[in-house]
Amino acid sequence: MSPERPRRVLVTGATGLIGGRLCEVMALTGAFEPRPFVHATGSAWRITRFPLDVASGDLCDRASVDRAMDGCDAVVHLARGDDAVMRRGLENVLRAAVTHRVSRFVHISSVAVYGSQPPPDSVSEAAATRPDLPYGHAKLDQEHRVLRYRRRRGLDVVILRPPNVYGPFASFTVGMVNTVRSHGVAIVDGGRNPCNLVYVDNLVEAILLALWRPEAPGQVLHVTDPEPVSWERCISDHAALVGVDVPRVAAAELVPPTRERLWRDSLRALAEGEVQRSLARIPLVRRWFHWLPEPAKQAVRARLRRREPVRRSGSPERRFRADHPFIAGQKRAVAHSSEKARRLLGYTAPVSYDEGMRLTEAWLRQAQILDVSSA
Amino acid sequence: MASIAAKRPAVRPGRGSGAVRIGIIGCGAIAEGAHLPAVLSSPEAELAAISDLNASRLQYLRRRYGLGPIAFRDYREVAGRVDAVILALPNHLHAPVGVELLSQGIHVLCEKPLALTRHECEQLCQAARSAGSILAVGFVARFFPSTELTKQLLESRFLGELQSFDYEFGSPGGWSPLSGYNLARSTCGGGVLVVSGSHVLDQMIYLFGDVDVTSHADDSRGGIEANCRTCFAATVDGRRVRGRVVLSKTHQLPNRLRLVGEHGTLDVRGSQTRSVTFLPSGSTLRHEITAAALPPAGTEPDCFQLQLHDFVNAIRTGAAPRVDGEGATRSVVLTERCYAIATALEEPWCEATLERLARAGPPPAPDAAVPQPPALASAS
Repeated sequence: MSPERPRRVLVTGATGLIGGRLCEVMALTGAFEPRPFVHATGSAWRITRFPLDVASGDLCDRASVDRAMDGCDAVVHLARGDDAVMRRGLENVLRAAVTHRVSRFVHISSVAVYGSQPPPDSVSEAAATRPDLPYGHAKLDQEHRVLRYRRRRGLDVVILRPPNVYGPFASFTVGMVNTVRSHGVAIVDGGRNPCNLVYVDNLVEAILLALWRPEAPGQVLHVTDPEPVSWERCISDHAALVGVDVPRVAAAELVPPTRERLWRDSLRALAEGEVQRSLARIPLVRRWFHWLPEPAKQAVRARLRRREPVRRSGSPERRFRADHPFIAGQKRAVAHSSEKARRLLGYTAPVSYDEGMRLTEAWLRQAQILDVSSA
Repeated sequence: MASIAAKRPAVRPGRGSGAVRIGIIGCGAIAEGAHLPAVLSSPEAELAAISDLNASRLQYLRRRYGLGPIAFRDYREVAGRVDAVILALPNHLHAPVGVELLSQGIHVLCEKPLALTRHECEQLCQAARSAGSILAVGFVARFFPSTELTKQLLESRFLGELQSFDYEFGSPGGWSPLSGYNLARSTCGGGVLVVSGSHVLDQMIYLFGDVDVTSHADDSRGGIEANCRTCFAATVDGRRVRGRVVLSKTHQLPNRLRLVGEHGTLDVRGSQTRSVTFLPSGSTLRHEITAAALPPAGTEPDCFQLQLHDFVNAIRTGAAPRVDGEGATRSVVLTERCYAIATALEEPWCEATLERLARAGPPPAPDAAVPQPPALASAS
């Protein structure tokens, strides 16, 4: 068995947001010695800023996982990918962790396991899981696999469930800025529900604690920022960075998600510009269309054309889709609590929302996602 | 350069048709994506050998491109079968392998950068001179019509007095070399300044001539930098002109060179290699400028084909290739100067929380000597 105080940690998904920051913090604080597992070498720029012992390979290849695990005392599994990576990749990492007798396996899951309308009791981790989207299903399946290795093989596993992770390099942050900028989001019914955020460094703190705290094995823990932040505040703060106003609407004004209809949606897909241009280059299609009587031609054109509601002034009316992630998320009434992580791990969430947003803004400006001159 | 050309021996053409026999050494992503198609489509070149340490890679390429028994794991076996090679090995191998082949009289088209250091570049140039071999360097951006057009516009003082130049090139991630040589300074020679910046530095030297670095900041923490901001001063028409280069492998940047002159601004975009955009001062108009002699879009050879043609022409005629060893050495020298004066790029989001996060690590074992982390040591 590896030492109780693990030293060298294999980090899968090391080129992602959380893995990249985790490797940075480990390298800069000396808390652990990270060994990043990298699939695409061209994506590893953030972590190769440090002289790290990078393992290059494919999680679906048992031999490369086994090589990467050699000499590691613990694992943080963050990798995401297609179904093969989510299942076979995870199995390979779990198997190698057992073979190499690592002291701790920290698996990063998600509050997506509760579904898009989480039950009220999912404030704590004891609530029933009921995913309703593919990502939530995949994450729950992974949790089951990880816990099976604890039961059957005695692996010391810890499962962390973060909500929306924000901060430098976060797709949530960049997505919010871009959506606000393109006027693609509204504050719905006052945006009173909690946004369920965690600043990336707070999640990193929880991972570092989960790697060595003796109370951690076997636990499933929420990792969130303790300070409640409403969707209204989160969206408004991002809008202020961009310098735009965000509309406020009632839920009743949202465009409901459309049920997929075989013929209509197929025709609409054909109406996409590229497909249309491709079809127009096929002589047989052109000839077939040419032979149609004029009313039929017009009917086809009308069916293919998307009709947007038009205001009296002539400009299209702005409508917001109820299934846009930043709008659907506003219906989640539950604030997941990280009280258990605080109690068992000593999780402190050291970065407040205000500080997190300040650091995020600094990064957004250096990355030129926000206008540098308006700083 | 004239003296080099004068020493060149009689041309050693390829077999039969007179095609130059080319070998490709190092069969990674750039070889498959660019050089192999260029050689296979060229009537002036014959693919005579390929070489890579990875046997399964060679087997894949032979099957994929229907190649004969021309694949070798040892590059030395290529030597007797070719007139010239395209050297697409990891950067740190350019010098040792290149010197060996050039010394045997084999012409070399070396992928950029020419080598990791000025000293290595000089060894390569010396080997080429001694053996009378052609040494060309794969700065493919030199073959963009927009590069030549920009040079012409600058020389004709189209912008009037040049006031500043500004390069901003960046995109998250990107090119993934199969060997992973890009992950370490020892094999790559540097980070974004080498991988993307070598093209920029080469073009800058080509456009402005005498260029020197005045400051360089990057985000390397002992590894290779992903971001850098560098300031340069060029001497143009006897005047000192300031310029800036911002490069990133983590952020999307505009991907363009912007030249500001007294008559307006010229944008040379990375995605728009056939033309440049002129924005006259005090006007809202935009003018797209294209070289008059340019063939219609989609009909011209790609830049790797043009580069190969230039290399073959140099072998056949003794003319200097568009980018020769001496020319390519200048960008390596400039890179070395940047690294020599490097300071840390400010990253407050990276530093601000470290002391608090350090407390989340395990307490040191009573009998263990705890290594002092560099960041916190300097912060305290």
